[in-house]
Amino acid sequence: MSDSTPAVTRAAAETAAADGGAPPRAASSIRLEGLHKRFGRDTVALDGVDLTIEAGEFFTLLGPSGCGKTTLLRILAGLEEPNAGRLWIGGRDVTDTPPHRRSVNTVFQSYALFPHLSVRDNLAFGLRMRGESAAERERKVAEVAEFIQLGSLVERRVDQLSGGQKQRIALARALVCEPDVLLLDEPLSALDAGLRSQLQVELQRLQKRLGMTFVFVTHDQDEAMVMSDRIAVLDGGVIQQVGTPSEVYEHPANAFVARFMGHDNLVAITAVDGDRVETRLGWLRLAPAERRAESDGWLLIRPETLVLDDALPEGYNRLEGTVEERLYRGSRIEYRVTVNGQPLMVVASNLGQRMHEIGDRVVIGVCPEDLVRVAA
Amino acid sequence: MRRRTLARGLAGFWWLTLVFLYLPLAVVVLFSFNSVNSAAHFADVSLRWYHQLLGNAQILSAFRNSLILAIVSSVIALVIGCLIGYGMYRHRHRRLGWLIVLIYLPIVLPDIVFGISEMAFFVQINRATGLLEPGLGTMIIAHVTFQIPFVALIVYSRFVGLDPTLFEAAKDLYASPFKRALHFLIPTLKPALISAFFLSFTLSIDDFVISFFTAGPESATLPIYIWGAIKKGVTPEINAIASLMIGAVLLAALVSLLFNRPRRR
Repeated sequence: MSDSTPAVTRAAAETAAADGGAPPRAASSIRLEGLHKRFGRDTVALDGVDLTIEAGEFFTLLGPSGCGKTTLLRILAGLEEPNAGRLWIGGRDVTDTPPHRRSVNTVFQSYALFPHLSVRDNLAFGLRMRGESAAERERKVAEVAEFIQLGSLVERRVDQLSGGQKQRIALARALVCEPDVLLLDEPLSALDAGLRSQLQVELQRLQKRLGMTFVFVTHDQDEAMVMSDRIAVLDGGVIQQVGTPSEVYEHPANAFVARFMGHDNLVAITAVDGDRVETRLGWLRLAPAERRAESDGWLLIRPETLVLDDALPEGYNRLEGTVEERLYRGSRIEYRVTVNGQPLMVVASNLGQRMHEIGDRVVIGVCPEDLVRVAA
Repeated sequence: MRRRTLARGLAGFWWLTLVFLYLPLAVVVLFSFNSVNSAAHFADVSLRWYHQLLGNAQILSAFRNSLILAIVSSVIALVIGCLIGYGMYRHRHRRLGWLIVLIYLPIVLPDIVFGISEMAFFVQINRATGLLEPGLGTMIIAHVTFQIPFVALIVYSRFVGLDPTLFEAAKDLYASPFKRALHFLIPTLKPALISAFFLSFTLSIDDFVISFFTAGPESATLPIYIWGAIKKGVTPEINAIASLMIGAVLLAALVSLLFNRPRRR
């Protein structure tokens, strides 16, 4: 900042930074190389994971249960040792560092608050174990209580807290230690839907404010998309795709990722001819970017991109089908249509247009630009 | 109507059981306050026999032995039982229940068989090495052996009732193994440890048979003294000792129960 800047402006800028900006601390990156983890003789939890998580990123490990996401998180925490591979946090190899010497803290799914301690002592536990003075502990606990807006919760006993309150305390207990990386193991899964979506927003905002690296585990693709900077989709101990929410949703790397992200319309490609592919729906023209010679894999058709209209714009693929099912969802209407015996989901925004009845013949328009080829 | 008769019958049976359990104790306590030396006629309330106890060197020595034996054996059993309980918890997936059965078996043997075997064993060792002269030392060893399984089971069941991620949370929050023991395991176990200690204490105070066989000439405990004394007949003095023991054991058992109550979740 130049000297000519008026002092008032400088002070205002500093205040703004102190209030809403990230605290002056460097976040840490994470690098994993060739991680393998077996349980027993033949249960493979992780089968060669390579991954880089940038400093200050909100990174989500997404996958069905048993995909290895929790094992990966536990390896980051040091609660599980990999059978092979190495792990760096902030450029330092911590593969063989025990959990109590890693600057990493975890928010556990069950919250794991110590029942023999008050909320205040729970919050101070990590600081105390690290040997910080009583005055220092008190200051930091008061700070985090203010930051997370715990209010009078600090005075309570652990068994007097509700689920949502326990969740906040568990988060505060980890944050107060100012770790290089914060790990969150499905921390919202035990909460009801309303509180859950509120906390999703809060957590994401908090992470941006702190600028801390967050690694979040969930099996809920909506939660992952709402909160994350980037997502890694796992299955069978292998990373299937890493990307931003829109990359993973709009351009899934394979059929598993597509299905897991909630796509219903995935039809097998049986033949290719120039910029057209054959499926059970019929021949469909693709955008030039999706043109490929191989006649295998799948075609992804997002239900919300389909147009139900007899008069289609120029260049659209035209399909005809019969409405089999209609679900009225208020803001949108979902139709299940069969085209040449192949079921197809169509979602129309509810703009007050006439609804189609079950049994109606309809014309469906598919814009070539919205079609995505997905590997098998 | 018939159901009511049954209920009344059961209630009557319950009261009868209580009478047989507690009335003899009440009689002993009552006659310990008798002012005259009679087991049939209660004259007046007095602390005469309690005063007499305090003047009897043999009784005081037996009392001291009982107390030393109970406290020392309970402390040792607490440490060993606690380690076994923790070990059983840590390796619970290996199904080590048989271990506790192995320790438990000698206790379900008749006390007299266990006592005689212990005595024979100590005598053999003493003859071979000169160590383990019968006395308080041998009694402590014998008592610790039957206290351990109770301690181990109490500690184990406390651990099993805990959320296993608490152990991981302690690790995650920078606690080294030593600090985990000091700041997590021991505080969490405190109620169980207090309960286990007082249970061990009552087991030790109560024991006569095993103590009798492992005692030396100088290490008579209160039960052993009473056994010797009643050969000459039940005196009000014995009633007084018995009353004190009833009080002590009830108190210890109460403390043990209080601390081993399941916690509110």
